[in-house]
Amino acid sequence: MILKHGWKALGAAILIYTFVAGLLIPLKTGVQSIIPQSIQSGRNVSFRVQGYNTQYLAGAPEMRAWLKMDDDHVLAAFQILVQNDRELKVGFQIPFFLPTDKKVQDFTLIIDNPVDGAHILPSAVFVTQDSINMALAKMYWPPEKIEGLHEKAGISFPFRNILAETIRNTYYHVPLWFAMILLFLGAVFYSGRHLFRLSYRNKITTGEDRMTLDDDRMSLSLIRTGVLFGILGLLTGMVWAKNTWGAYWSGDIKQNMTAICLLIYMAYFVLRQAYEDPEQRARIASVYALFAFAAMIPLLFVIPRLTDSLHPGNGGNPAMGGEDLDNTMRMVFYPAIIGWTLLGLWMSQISFRIERLKERWLESGG
Amino acid sequence: MIFCTLKNLDELKNRATFGRQPKLMSKRFFLLAFFTTATFFRGMAQASQGDDFMRSMGKMYVVVAAIAIVFVGIVAFLIYLDRKLTKLENQTKHND
Repeated sequence: MILKHGWKALGAAILIYTFVAGLLIPLKTGVQSIIPQSIQSGRNVSFRVQGYNTQYLAGAPEMRAWLKMDDDHVLAAFQILVQNDRELKVGFQIPFFLPTDKKVQDFTLIIDNPVDGAHILPSAVFVTQDSINMALAKMYWPPEKIEGLHEKAGISFPFRNILAETIRNTYYHVPLWFAMILLFLGAVFYSGRHLFRLSYRNKITTGEDRMTLDDDRMSLSLIRTGVLFGILGLLTGMVWAKNTWGAYWSGDIKQNMTAICLLIYMAYFVLRQAYEDPEQRARIASVYALFAFAAMIPLLFVIPRLTDSLHPGNGGNPAMGGEDLDNTMRMVFYPAIIGWTLLGLWMSQISFRIERLKERWLESGG
Repeated sequence: MIFCTLKNLDELKNRATFGRQPKLMSKRFFLLAFFTTATFFRGMAQASQGDDFMRSMGKMYVVVAAIAIVFVGIVAFLIYLDRKLTKLENQTKHND
């Protein structure tokens, strides 16, 4: 009993964990915006910095801020005024000449205090210098070093500027695709087994020389659920894309290829409708399920890696990592994959049992 | 013949009511599905009136929308299975 149904409870429990942990764990502190973003060199500039998840009032006594060009060239703030928990006024004295041979140089903003920990905004400020003079720049550029950065206590998810809270969608969008692929893989298994048994037909028959079509039904149910997950993945991805990439559909290679892949799998249902005879239908559908999976592999795993994509982990990069998926996120992300897959299997099994009942009832009832 | 039909009349009545009830159920489920999706899309439309709403609170509502979409999708799948079962029950009732 526990073995037979326990995996469903396990799937539900894992999903509950995913929802609780994925929604309740806070994000790290971050810098949301800075004004102005581009300035001239050789001036005193007061920046207005907006923090995210920060408690600047609590961390005010030891507040520090830097503009960083590279590891050797760092500029410390000469004045930091805490406006409220989320807002700072940071004053920087920018020297006339920058230690770079470029006219425009970007600087990373780093803010640190014991309460919030260190948080940065990459390419926060662009400084323009009228003329380049490396020798003078080296004289005027203070030999500053960043030392003793703090780390915020407690577990948290990374803060990415464009993503912000939507980094949590990693648990509600990405695992749908993993589950879809695993469900399709299951369909490959059952279709393959159906075809395998078909070739040894005489050995495995149920009574009157009739073969059981259960494998085909399971394959159908798995593909049904997989396509549902795929459609949900597309829709959730579109909402996510609208608010991070700027458009529901930006013709990203992975979006397009996934749409093609889903169309291929939707054709599976159309194909099934074309055959009256259940055995013939099962045979053709099983072969098609194998081919559809074979077509999916290059569409989802190969082509998106060959070109540029907005998705992380594409364009030559084999997997997500770094700030997109750190170890804290993995503790929710991997269970999420298992949870969504088990839920998908559960849904497929219910669908399968209905299909089997249909066959039995219709047979007994005439 | 007449006795037979009289005896079967009750059964027929029963069958008729039984036959209808699931139909009503499916209609109700259809309405439920319709209103769920309608409310959802209305909410989405309101939300998209300004990107400000979706992007407020650190874009948290994007996550809410994603979870809502998944929920509506799974409920839609449930309704689909429910209708399938209802149809099956109707067919077997008539075959008995």
